[in-house]
Amino acid sequence: MYLLNFLVRRLFQGVIVLLIVTFAIFTLLRVVPGDPVRLIVGGMAPDEVVAQKAEELGLNDPIPVQFARYLGNILQGDLGNSFLRPKSGATVGAAAHDDPTRADRAEVLDLILERIPLTLQLAALAIVFALIISFPLGIAAGLNPGKWQDRLAFFAGSVFVSIPSFWLGVVLALLLSVQWGILPSIGYKGFEYTILPAFVLAIEMSPFIIRTLSVSIAQVMQEEFISVAPLRGLRRTRIVAAHAIRNASIPLLNLFGIQLGVLLGGVLVIELIFDYPGLGRLTINAVLQRDFPVIQGVAVFIAGLFVFINIAVDLAASFIDPRLEY
Amino acid sequence: MTDTAMKAQMPVPSQVGELRLSPTQRMLKEAWARTSFKAGFFVFIGLIAAALVFPEVSSIDPTKMNVRARFVPPLFFGEKWTWAHPFGTDHLGRDLLLRCLIGLRWSVLIGCASVIMMFVIGCGLGLYSGFKGNWTDTIIMRITDAQLSIPFIILAITILGVSRPTVPAIILVLGLSSWPLYARVARSVTLSEKGKEYIRAQRVLGASHWRILFLFLAPAILPPIAFVAVLDVARMMIFESILGFIGLGIQPPTPSFGSIIADGRKYLINAWWIATMPGALLLITLTSLNLMGAALEKARNDVLKGAA
Amino acid sequence: MADRNIALHVNSLAVGLQTDTGVKIIDDISFELEAGRVLGVIGEAGSGKTVLARALVNGLSEPLVTRSGEVVFDGHDVLKLSDAELAGIRGNRIGYIGSNPAGALDPTVPVGDQIVEKLRSVRPDISKGSATQRVLDVLNAVRIPSPEVRFHEFPFQFSGGMMQRVMIVDALVTNPEILIADNITQALDVTVAAQIIRLIKELRDQFSTAILFISSSLPVVQTIADDVMVLQAGRIVETASPEVLISKPRHDYTKSILERLPRIWGKDITPPEANDAPTLMSVTDVERTYMVRKKGTFRGMNAVRAVRGMSIDIRQGENIGIVGESGCGKSTLTRLLAWLEEPDNGAITFEGRDLSKLSHRELTKMRQSFQLLLQDPYSSLPSRMSVGRIIAEPLLIHGTCPRGEIKGRVRDAMKEVGLDPDIENQLTVGLGAGDRQRINIARALVLEPKLMILDETLSALDQIEQSKLFELFDKLQKTHGFTYIFISHDMALVRKVCHRIAVMYLGRVVELADNKTLFERPLHPYSRALLSAVPTLDDHPFKTRDYLLEGEPPSPVHIPPGCSYRTRCPRALDKCKTIDPSARLLPGGGQVSCHLSDEE
Repeated sequence: MYLLNFLVRRLFQGVIVLLIVTFAIFTLLRVVPGDPVRLIVGGMAPDEVVAQKAEELGLNDPIPVQFARYLGNILQGDLGNSFLRPKSGATVGAAAHDDPTRADRAEVLDLILERIPLTLQLAALAIVFALIISFPLGIAAGLNPGKWQDRLAFFAGSVFVSIPSFWLGVVLALLLSVQWGILPSIGYKGFEYTILPAFVLAIEMSPFIIRTLSVSIAQVMQEEFISVAPLRGLRRTRIVAAHAIRNASIPLLNLFGIQLGVLLGGVLVIELIFDYPGLGRLTINAVLQRDFPVIQGVAVFIAGLFVFINIAVDLAASFIDPRLEY
Repeated sequence: MTDTAMKAQMPVPSQVGELRLSPTQRMLKEAWARTSFKAGFFVFIGLIAAALVFPEVSSIDPTKMNVRARFVPPLFFGEKWTWAHPFGTDHLGRDLLLRCLIGLRWSVLIGCASVIMMFVIGCGLGLYSGFKGNWTDTIIMRITDAQLSIPFIILAITILGVSRPTVPAIILVLGLSSWPLYARVARSVTLSEKGKEYIRAQRVLGASHWRILFLFLAPAILPPIAFVAVLDVARMMIFESILGFIGLGIQPPTPSFGSIIADGRKYLINAWWIATMPGALLLITLTSLNLMGAALEKARNDVLKGAA
Repeated sequence: MADRNIALHVNSLAVGLQTDTGVKIIDDISFELEAGRVLGVIGEAGSGKTVLARALVNGLSEPLVTRSGEVVFDGHDVLKLSDAELAGIRGNRIGYIGSNPAGALDPTVPVGDQIVEKLRSVRPDISKGSATQRVLDVLNAVRIPSPEVRFHEFPFQFSGGMMQRVMIVDALVTNPEILIADNITQALDVTVAAQIIRLIKELRDQFSTAILFISSSLPVVQTIADDVMVLQAGRIVETASPEVLISKPRHDYTKSILERLPRIWGKDITPPEANDAPTLMSVTDVERTYMVRKKGTFRGMNAVRAVRGMSIDIRQGENIGIVGESGCGKSTLTRLLAWLEEPDNGAITFEGRDLSKLSHRELTKMRQSFQLLLQDPYSSLPSRMSVGRIIAEPLLIHGTCPRGEIKGRVRDAMKEVGLDPDIENQLTVGLGAGDRQRINIARALVLEPKLMILDETLSALDQIEQSKLFELFDKLQKTHGFTYIFISHDMALVRKVCHRIAVMYLGRVVELADNKTLFERPLHPYSRALLSAVPTLDDHPFKTRDYLLEGEPPSPVHIPPGCSYRTRCPRALDKCKTIDPSARLLPGGGQVSCHLSDEE
């Protein structure tokens, strides 16, 4: 019963958020300069062809009408078709004046679903790496405020957060791939191609985790139930492992929910640098080619992912701490 | 009582002799007492000064190409040490140090301007949202969620990719991307301040809503956000460099960290310094800023502890 | 006396600060705790009680450190034991209960699981099943209703009193030889505290545990301890049986504690007498209900009836007390009286004018006449304003005073409340609670109000500051003709200063009487229960044995039909179940709502 009510309420909120996002991106893409039809039909096409194509795609209708149509399609699971990409995969040359029928263009949803597993694999591995780096540093700092562990975490956090990820990617690629040949870095031909990008991402994420963890552990350790626990007969390892980390994990979960957008953004940039065939490369290519349905689709898809993961995060938090009424 | 009694027995050095300082002033003083803050401050000021002065007094033109001086390695790495090009030169023979310093100017300018923008938007909306409550609050918070759920990079490349990446556009994009965090912090501080006794006391005295909003709530959100702002200047500078790297930042011939590194990537094997030196300079700048921001955060926590 | 069974032997124990070798928080503490007996420790805030309690189980945390001495338990010096050896003793053979039950357990784990966790931590040989059974047995023994259900509930679902019972279970579940009870009634309401004391007494017999009972209240210690030690500034200054200590105190400090204890009953007590005066503020059938979202439902709401049909007249120039325990609706009433919230029903009139009918402008003007002094002197002042500006603020808001005169008015007000006018440019950081309350008073004073509402205003202050502020209130009343409403949980305080007193229960006045009548001949059974639970050394006319209640007040969401008090009333009649007693006016101006009193 609790669960159902929570889900209904949060899904409702999530739908509203998605509506706002969709509308914002949709409108944005229609007010910025640049005529997409011209790109589809090719620079050399006569004006009447352009007008005809625009009519065919419904681009001459008022924006609210277009938006409603788009929403209707989304409800049927259709994110539209790419302006430029054919089903086979290769980009159609925009300069040529060919006019393939709409059915030949790849469906945006397929394009996304095709690439999302690799992006998720990268994100998941990055989170694992980040936790491995951050937990020892953050917990040690939280347990020893003001001591060297605290200072180490403080300094490590400040340096990690200052490293531009793309630059670190370039430098590590230079050292590990070019100089020493330990790890491959460009493209994707197997799991080992994920390791280096994931590590770079982990360095980018870890300062936030270290900081949140050390602050919240230090805070929890000040709580009365922790300071009384040894008098009640609990041992220190048990107190830290079962109670301090448990309570400190709530702010960490919240951080994860809020920073998810930043994380996803980071993934896209890293994909670009390592030429990793995930959502990021799809997106930037779409932008460079003004392939609006793809941009739109990616934005909506990522916003949906964001909403979904946030619901999951809040649910997890309320399982850990029942006071967080969901 | 257990804890209060113990606290009462512990001296709180930070409070002695500071009775005339407001919490914000105390936070700054506390931060200044930290080595990390001072170190960060002096390094940052030094770099800014260098970026402002050096390109003006230098005889070299940062955009001028010099085919004869292509791929000069940096100081200590060349066959003979020369101070002519401490960071070396790039594939067109341009002085890297000079280009980096000019990139730093733009980077800091864009970072600060965008943080000011998100600060104003975020704090304004958050303050209003928390103060008004009800529907206003719900609507603003949903918009905030929506903004948070669009990754910065998608927004940035969408806007900058389809329009022209000019400096104001870059500032606008960066400012838009991160205001929700400010709105959230400002809102939660407003909510917690609003419930405090002294606000109730002001209402009993007959103070109007606007008086409470401007005189009491608005100043209260400053300390918890100040360090976020300092940290965000650094974050925005990274974003700016990312945009430069993927070709959506400040356009050539004006140099920017991102574009220099992107250029240098092509010559990674022969001339490693073109890509690495700007990154190192950026790293030092950002570290100095982040040390300041993190020290401010710690100082704030200490001031809060002292006041409790 | 050679066969005395000593459970714990403490020998010249001293605790200091790591950072400063000169400081000693407690020093030269020596005593013996006999098996099966209760040794009381009495000391004021800051006397080192908690430090002592923690030092005994080697549980000090930084920056505190044991400097010298030994604590001998079962032939071992507890202070020299390794962590492993300590684990067999602490929480197992020596139990510990602290003063803050609400914060004592992990908020994210069910209480039962935490006690089982503790039991199995100190007794690894017990299986999970038998540990659970043992915990349930002890939960039952401390009379927690439906222990099987509550076992799985979380700390935040317990009231303070119930949670303290849980902590008693937590300490006694291992059947320890020694129990250290550190100020365990401090955070509780008087009737709940009295229940806990009674429970501890019963359990002592049942478990034959030696108890070190630490408290800041001599009357509380006196009811339970076989012997009492007096702790002053970290040293034991006197040890005696409670009777001897009270009748023949030897040390000056003990004498001063006794002198400062507020007196409630006795021949020499002359309470303030009520006199007739015109009505200043009148509260008529006021109701306030909050709608709170019901957990786990989509649109379900709980109606929390915080104040339901409250009526009271406040006379000009009087001190009226409104007393009641947590959850009785005092704080809601305060907000209504200060017009921070409007009542759903009923009316509040001030000087004959209905506040709800005033225009915004008139209301702002009217606000000058009734001022609220809040409980917490720390959070009620803005932290980034100077003292002078804080006091000037009301003048700036109302604009009644020409700018040029503000400074003078502020300095006059500061002088009047006993503040040094030279601190006007200083911030409030570093000022003590007493001075902060003075700023609060001065801030209200500049508006020249007629009525001051004191919401537990003095409860954050120590005895000495309290009596100084009483004098100030008295002086202000004489010079300005103030009327005071004391909203309080402290029976001794209202006894001392109030002309008339109203007793609140579940959002309503159950009895209103003048001071003398209420304390000597109360009519409502709740008033009697409240009085019976007041800790005092005076000859108590209401014995705990006869009047104390079991259980806790029902939640304001589910108010029982009929007389709302009947669920706890020992003498409830049949008609109490159905008929809600109306307020009956008594000769002398008092009123009471009870069927029993109608019949008496």
